[in-house]
Amino acid sequence: MMQSNTHVVWVDDLCSGDMVPRAGAKIARLGELRKCGVLVPDGFVVTTDAFSAFMSETGLDAEMRRLFAGCSPSDAEQISHTARDARALVEATPIPASIADEVVEAYEELSYRLRDLNVPVAVRSSATGEDGAEASFAGQFDTFLGVTGNDRLLSAIQRCWGSLFTDRAVDYRCNKGLSHEDSPMAVGVIKLVHARASGVAFSVHPVSGNPHRLVIEGSWGWGEAVVQGLVNPDHIEVGKSDRRVLEYKVSDKQVVSAFDYAQGLVVEHEMPRRLREEHILEDEEIQAIVDSVLAIEKHYGHPVDVEWVIDRHRRPKEPITIVQTRPVTVKAKTEATKTAPAWNPVAYAQKYAFGTK
Amino acid sequence: MSDSVSLDELITDEWYPGFKPEYGHAAFACEPIDTFHEKDKERFWFLDFHWPRGLTPMGLIFLEDGYCWGTQCAAQGLPLPPGKGLTQRIGGTHVYASEVPNTSQWELGYRGARIEQNLPKFLQNFDEIWNNRVWELELGLKHFENYEFSGKKLEDIAQYLIDARTFQKRAWEIHFEMMYPLLANYLGFYGICSEFNIDPGEISKFLQGYDTKILECDRELWKLTASAREDGIEDLFAQNEPEVLKRALSQDPRAGRWLSRFETFLQNFGWRTEGISDIALAPWIEDPTSPLGTIKTFLQKGEIHDFEKAKRAAEEEREVAIDQARSKLTKEEQAQFDGALESCKAANFAWWNDEHNYYIDLRATIPMRRGCLALADAVGADTYDDTLFLFWPEMKEIVEGDKKFSDFKSIIHDRRQYYEHWLAKRPSMPKVVGNIPEAVSDPIMIEIFGMHHHFFNAMKAKGKDVQTLTGVAASAGTVRGVARVLHNASELHRIQPGEILVCEATSPNWTPAFAKISACVCDGGGTLTHASIISREYRIPCVVGCGLATDMIESGDEVEVDGTKGTVTVFKKKAAA
Repeated sequence: MMQSNTHVVWVDDLCSGDMVPRAGAKIARLGELRKCGVLVPDGFVVTTDAFSAFMSETGLDAEMRRLFAGCSPSDAEQISHTARDARALVEATPIPASIADEVVEAYEELSYRLRDLNVPVAVRSSATGEDGAEASFAGQFDTFLGVTGNDRLLSAIQRCWGSLFTDRAVDYRCNKGLSHEDSPMAVGVIKLVHARASGVAFSVHPVSGNPHRLVIEGSWGWGEAVVQGLVNPDHIEVGKSDRRVLEYKVSDKQVVSAFDYAQGLVVEHEMPRRLREEHILEDEEIQAIVDSVLAIEKHYGHPVDVEWVIDRHRRPKEPITIVQTRPVTVKAKTEATKTAPAWNPVAYAQKYAFGTK
Repeated sequence: MSDSVSLDELITDEWYPGFKPEYGHAAFACEPIDTFHEKDKERFWFLDFHWPRGLTPMGLIFLEDGYCWGTQCAAQGLPLPPGKGLTQRIGGTHVYASEVPNTSQWELGYRGARIEQNLPKFLQNFDEIWNNRVWELELGLKHFENYEFSGKKLEDIAQYLIDARTFQKRAWEIHFEMMYPLLANYLGFYGICSEFNIDPGEISKFLQGYDTKILECDRELWKLTASAREDGIEDLFAQNEPEVLKRALSQDPRAGRWLSRFETFLQNFGWRTEGISDIALAPWIEDPTSPLGTIKTFLQKGEIHDFEKAKRAAEEEREVAIDQARSKLTKEEQAQFDGALESCKAANFAWWNDEHNYYIDLRATIPMRRGCLALADAVGADTYDDTLFLFWPEMKEIVEGDKKFSDFKSIIHDRRQYYEHWLAKRPSMPKVVGNIPEAVSDPIMIEIFGMHHHFFNAMKAKGKDVQTLTGVAASAGTVRGVARVLHNASELHRIQPGEILVCEATSPNWTPAFAKISACVCDGGGTLTHASIISREYRIPCVVGCGLATDMIESGDEVEVDGTKGTVTVFKKKAAA
C-alpha cells in the first residue's frame, strides 16, 4: 500500500537532487544530510504531488487562474488583496480524503516509530522552482513548531500551502510571469526536537566572507526567535583550522521560543530573568556544532548555513541536531586570506599610510 | 562653522624686519619655504606645535635645511607615492606647514612601484641602517661638542658655523629618511589591526616597553633625585627656585658630592634642549635650570618613580595585549598579525620615535647655537645671543669683513621686538589657515599631527557649542579633574599635582610633567606622538588629536578625559572672570 503512495515520502527515502521537485529543496537536503551521517530528526514530506492533487481536485487551480488573471505586477495593493483572498481560499478548502488519509497515516506511523501518541512535529514549507523562489519565501510564516494531533497537523499543512500565496511570493511570480503551478509547495513534517538551545551557524563569516571563521548564533529554547530576529543571540566565532573559540559574545536575550502545552505550539515568551545573560553553549557543545557544520560544508563543497538544535536529552559527545541547511552565497573573501599570509608592508602602507582610508 | 580661515594678516614678502630673501636661496627639493602669499589661501596650513615660541632668523635655517629639505628629500627617496614632503610658511615668526602634493598620475604609479622595491628592504635592514646613522651622528656630534672656541679666529668660527649647518642639515636628512618608512609601516600595521577589530588603545601597547635614550635620561634624573635625598640637600631644592638653584648648590659645601654627579650627568645627557631644533633654546649643559627644576619637582612628589617596576609593567602589559589580540584571531589571521608585528618590532616606530630625539631633535642644532654665541662673543655683541637675530647672508657679510657687527645693532633690536610681539600672539594664532580639506596624504601629518577625520571634524565644528571633544584614544583610563592649559614648556612649573594638562602637543622636555599630571589632552598628535607614549609609560589617560582643546578649554575648567574611548568632556566653565 505504501508503495503506490506519491503524496508522502519519508525523509529516509529522499535521495539528493532528484527529489527536489517533489520534496522541495529544504526537505530534500535534510534527506541528503541524514544519509551522510548528520543527525537529522525523522519525519516525512507531504510532496508537491499532494499539493497539486489538492489544488486540482478541489478546483482551486481554476479558481487561482481566475483570481490572478487580472493581476498587474505594478499594482502592489491589488497584489496584496488578491494574495490574501488566495491564502484564505487555500486554508479554508477541505483537503480531499484521499490526501488527508495518507498524511494522517504517515503521522500515526511517525508517532508509532517514536512510541508516542500525537508526537509533536515541526511543519515546514519547502518550496520548489528556481533558486530565487526559496529566497523569496525565506522568513515568511512557513514554519509551525510543536504541532500535535491530526487536525492541527492538516491545518498547519494547509497554512504552509497558503504561504505560497504571500504578498512577496505572488509579487515575485507576477513579475516573473510564473504561476503557482510552476513552483508547487512541499511540506515537511519532522519530529520536533525538544530544544534546550538552538540557533544558526555559518561556515564562513556571513558579513566579511572570511572563510577561516565559523560563526554561531543562538539562544535558549527553539530557534524561531533567533531566525526571525526577535532576540539578540549569543555570538560565537570559531577559527576553522584549529577550532579555537575566538570570541564568545553573550547577549541579553529577552525573548525565548518555548513549547506552550496549552496551545500545543512553540510560541514566544519573555525570557526568564536568570537565563537572559547566561552562556547558551559550553565548549563541548560548540565543538559538536563545528563538527556538523564542517561535515556539511565538506559534503557540499561550498559554504553553508545551518539551523541547529541541542536536544534537551543530548549527552556530551553525541552530535547536535541539524534541522535545516542552505548554501551560502557570500562573496569569497579577498585574496589576502587565500594567498600566503606573509606581511606585505607596501600593500598596507598604500592602504592606510597615505590618507586613502 | 567655517571651512576657511583668513591669513590676510600673515601675507608679506618680508621674513623679519629688513630681510627679504631672494627667490630660491634656500635649499628645497620641490617647494621652498616662504612667507604667506595670496595663492596660499587655497591650500591647507597648520600651525606646527614643535616651535611654540616661534623661531629667530638664525633658527629659520632649520626650516630650510631640516624641515623643508629633509621631508622633501626623504619623500623623493623612499618615495612617498601621493606626497612630496612638507613645505612651510612663516606666519610672523611662527611655522605653518602643508603637504606638497603629487598631482601626476604617472608619478603616482612610478613612485608606487619604487616604494614597493624600497620599503621592504628598509624594514628588513632597519637595525643596520639606523646603527650606521647613529654612528655617523655621533661622529659629527663628538666633533662639534668637543670643539674649543678659546683662541679661535673669526674665520675659524665662521668655518665652524658652516660645518655645523652642514651637520644639522645632514641630521635632518637622516631624521626623515628614517621617519617616513617607519611611519608608513606602522600605519599599515595599525590598519591591519583595525581590520582585525583590535581596539586602538590595544594596538599601541604591542610596541611599548623598550628602553630609549630619553627614558634612560629620565631614569638618571630620578637617580639624582634619590641621591639628593641621601645627601640631605632636599632643603636647598625646597628653598630655591630652579633659576637660582645652581648658585645655591655651588655655595653649599653639603652639595659638593651631588654636584659632581650632576656634572657627569650633564656630560652624558646635557646636550639637549628644552624643545625641538630651536637655536634660541639653551641646552642643559649651558643652562641646567630645567633638569634642576625637574629634580626639585620630583623631590616634592615624595615617592621615587620606580622605573624597573614601570618597565616590567609595560612589558607585561605588552605581552598580555598581544596574547589577548592573538587569541581572537584565526590561525590564518594570526600568521598575518605575527608577520606584521614582527616587522614593526624589527623596525619599531614607537621606539625610534623617542630614541631619535636624543640624537637629532633635541641635539643636532646645538652646534650651530654654540657657533653663533662664539661669534657674538668674538665680535663684541651687546647681548650674548644677538647673532641669533641675523640671517645667514648677514652673518657671512660680517665674517668676511664686508660689514661690521655694529651695522646690525639697530635691526637686531627691531627683530627682538618683532620676536617678542609674535611670541605674545602665539596663543591666539589660528591653528589652521586656508582651506580645510577632508583628508591629507602625508603620513607625518596623519600620525604626528593627528590629522585624521576627528581633527578635521573638530576644525569644522569650531564656533559651535561643543561640550565633548573626540580625538585619538592614546592611553586608557578615565580621569576627571581640573584643566591646566599651557602654550609652551616654559609654563610647565605652573602645573599643580593632579591637574589635567591641556596643550597643543608635548615634546620630550615636557616629560617630567607627566609625573605630576593626572591626564593629558592635546590638539594634535597620534597614538605614537610623545604625549601618547609618555602617558602610557606613566599610566595616565591621554586623548590626542582633539583639534581644538586649547581653544575650548581654559585653565580651571573641570574636564573628564576618557582615554579608552578618546573623548574629552568639558563639564563646567570656570566662573566668569
